[in-house]
Amino acid sequence: MKIPKHDVAVVGIGQTKFRSKRRDVNIPEMIYEAVKMALDDAQLEPKEIDAVIIGNMDHFEGINFSELLCGIEAAPGYLKPVVKVATGGTTGSSLAICGYHNVASGIYNNVLVVGWEKLNEGGATTGIITAFDPVWERPSLAGALGPLALMAGMYSAKYGITPEQAAKVTVKNRSNAANNPFAHLQMPNITIDYVMSSQMISYPLRLHDCCPQSEGACALIYANEQETKKITDNPAWVHAVETAHYYTFGTDDKMFDLPTATIASKKAYKKAGISNPVKDLDVAEIYEPTSWSELSWTEALGFCKPGEGGKLLDEEITQMSGELPVNPSGGVLSTNPIGATALVRVAEAAIQIMGRGEKRQVPDVEKALAMGFGGSLWTEIMILGKNPMR
Amino acid sequence: MDKVAIVGCAQTKYEAEKIDQTISELVFEVVKKLHNELGITNDDVGCVITGSNDFNDGRTIANMAIQDAVGSVRKSESRVSGDGAFAFVYGAMRILSESYDTVMVVSHCKCSEVDQYLVNNTIFDPYYQRHLGLDQISSAGLMANMYMNKYGVTEDQAARVVVKNRKNALNNPYAHLQKEVTLKDILNSKMMAYPLKTLDFPPFSDGAVAMLLAKEDVAKRMTDTPIWLKGYGSCTDAYYLGNRNMTDLIGLELAAKEAYRMAGISNPIENLDVCEVSENFSIHELMIYEALGLCEKGEGGKFIESGETQMNGSIPVNPSGGVLSSNPAMANGLIRVAEIVLQLQGKADRRQIPNAKTGLAYGMNGICSQGNCVLIFGGD
Amino acid sequence: MSKNRKLKKDFFEIKWKTDLPYRYSIGKLAVKFFEELKVNKKILGSKCPKCEKVHFPPRAVCADCLVEMKIDDMVELPPKGTLEGFTVVNYPFTDPSTGGIRPFPYGYALFKLDGADTYTMHFVDETDVSKMKIGQRVEAVFSEERKGDLSADIPYFRIIKEEE
Repeated sequence: MKIPKHDVAVVGIGQTKFRSKRRDVNIPEMIYEAVKMALDDAQLEPKEIDAVIIGNMDHFEGINFSELLCGIEAAPGYLKPVVKVATGGTTGSSLAICGYHNVASGIYNNVLVVGWEKLNEGGATTGIITAFDPVWERPSLAGALGPLALMAGMYSAKYGITPEQAAKVTVKNRSNAANNPFAHLQMPNITIDYVMSSQMISYPLRLHDCCPQSEGACALIYANEQETKKITDNPAWVHAVETAHYYTFGTDDKMFDLPTATIASKKAYKKAGISNPVKDLDVAEIYEPTSWSELSWTEALGFCKPGEGGKLLDEEITQMSGELPVNPSGGVLSTNPIGATALVRVAEAAIQIMGRGEKRQVPDVEKALAMGFGGSLWTEIMILGKNPMR
Repeated sequence: MDKVAIVGCAQTKYEAEKIDQTISELVFEVVKKLHNELGITNDDVGCVITGSNDFNDGRTIANMAIQDAVGSVRKSESRVSGDGAFAFVYGAMRILSESYDTVMVVSHCKCSEVDQYLVNNTIFDPYYQRHLGLDQISSAGLMANMYMNKYGVTEDQAARVVVKNRKNALNNPYAHLQKEVTLKDILNSKMMAYPLKTLDFPPFSDGAVAMLLAKEDVAKRMTDTPIWLKGYGSCTDAYYLGNRNMTDLIGLELAAKEAYRMAGISNPIENLDVCEVSENFSIHELMIYEALGLCEKGEGGKFIESGETQMNGSIPVNPSGGVLSSNPAMANGLIRVAEIVLQLQGKADRRQIPNAKTGLAYGMNGICSQGNCVLIFGGD
Repeated sequence: MSKNRKLKKDFFEIKWKTDLPYRYSIGKLAVKFFEELKVNKKILGSKCPKCEKVHFPPRAVCADCLVEMKIDDMVELPPKGTLEGFTVVNYPFTDPSTGGIRPFPYGYALFKLDGADTYTMHFVDETDVSKMKIGQRVEAVFSEERKGDLSADIPYFRIIKEEE
């Protein structure tokens, strides 16, 4: 087996409209909507797909080996390889990275990557609790929001970040979402007061500091150079993929920053030739489960110095009109179909590179960053560019 | 350039119930063993791919529990949900994409921590099939009966698979069941799902397996006996059993063809020296022979009778004792790979096939060979 | 009303309630931990023989060194620590260990036990956030009758008031 490495591009994108409930469809029907859109986008017949990489979190819907149902009934996996990758919140980015290696290795010319979740059919918080240690963590854990609330409180105490600054993130992202036809929560007229007067869910997190639970699916098609040329003259090329994981117990270390985001982004910037992320990147789609976390993550990703996430926002650098718009799609605060969430980041970054963002388009995007967050404080990074790496 | 080798592997002993070990400790056992055997530290491991299943572990994001044990703090780990053979493939791809020089692949399962029938029932869709109570036993019975009816294969022929594998297991220190059984024992064992009886099925086991993959130059530095990946094929059959051809393993057949093409194998019986396959019930192994092209369709029964798949036959299948002897479900595919590596390195001790140069490993996902992964390996 | 009826007719759901019970092995160190907790009201962590990092909860693998910690490497930790972060959980969700809704609101904190190098989470006996502050001292509250179950034997940590 002697196969050269390939450059890899995103050549087709599909997303469902994300909503809190999709009672009108079953799981494969919902996934098929995104798959069909991606196939149509790349103008590929199902039979032309080489392999399917698909994922969600088993316990959220209570289906074991869900890839064998969904890869066949909702995607063109019949008589082809179907592989499931599932890593919690990072499932979408892990799928994206796995899809990349499938093509970059030269094994496949193209792959279809699908992330999905139909959260309301099971119990997300209950499902998330079972991610943690049954002896030491589960008794006191309150799903993902408990630790995220701890992180927000510690971050705020360390750097003097205010609830107003956090609320501004929600205002930014949910008003951006109004420009994204696929976004779940679209609130063009949302105000800081509205966020700050919403119910206290887990101090300091209020209802509108937190992401929603969404149902939906996202599908991407990757191809190597030769196939990409045949499919489109406007692909988004993968420049770097990186993952950094952390201790089994997320609480082993202080939780107010995200060291894995710093580790993974530094490596990815090096690969992609980025020395100053704010200048060299044109847009970032990051995985902010809470308003506070977007401020903290922008620090960890090196968009500003530690403690300056609030200042970065106040200076409007991450706004649509700023130097580095963050989450033009509305981000996770607007849309959170867990197994698809991080894949939506990659899809939206690719849409920006392709210049197909319509009302949410940032002008002249050459380089875009997509981030996944999950597990016990894990980060995954993918950097996309207008031109191939080689 | 662009070759992937396995430089070493480690297994636990497979047992019914490793109640003294957490999943993390079980995984650490093989990781440490692998490090010691190769004389490496965690710094020599580029990244980690694990293979596990949330339903078996009773944990969402089952790989989170083993981050400390696989040494992936501040490093890259990813998890293929399902059989370890698929995790192996992802690991190999990370080397072929020139992203990493070395990748550790780990797979584990503790069947003892949860009712396997319930877990397997959740593989069936919640709309039409699950309420029928289908699981791996009843669907295997369905498949076995259809196959036997079509081709006239007998229960006696099926039982010979069990006799062979259980006997082979006596030579494998890692094997779970190490007790010989006779044709009579099997035929007289309790009926589970007609025509399959208790002894036509594997036990449930706890265990883990780990291996280190490396690119060519690194592999040659690390070992004198690198084992090279020569071919790979993967293929998924229909989801609903009613949509499947239940008498022939179509998905496996296509996966094998692809792997043979890549490895340049034109006549599997001549070109292959040893096979390790994931046989989930006795008849399954006969159907696997046919799908791998070791014999003609419908000839699986006669083929086992011919003795060709015995230790001293022309194409020994499952010298390790196979799944029928050790069944830590999700790890089965990666165990098959590890056993082929031992065979090709000449390190299989009492279960060694003399002069084994080329070997095949087969891992599967789901029920009755729905998801298939065929891997061909060769020594230098 | 007519809309609801339409929904019911067009969209129905299949309920799946099968319980999937697990028996998790907890490992030798946890067995020792629970013994000491139950019999002697002691809290044990595990100390890496190589880097000497003290882990709580105790576990068998030091992730930084990939070195095994054995029962001999367990060290007693005082039942006191320092609050590093806190929240008050104020939303309903199903507790997977009981199947029922976990009672709320409840206080929940990240703290470091004296002598430990890792942080840990547990309940705290405070639901008024104005009374909690990072840096406050906390102390484990033990049940009189202990049965070797973390949340039953140490139901919560108590914030030590300044005047004490």
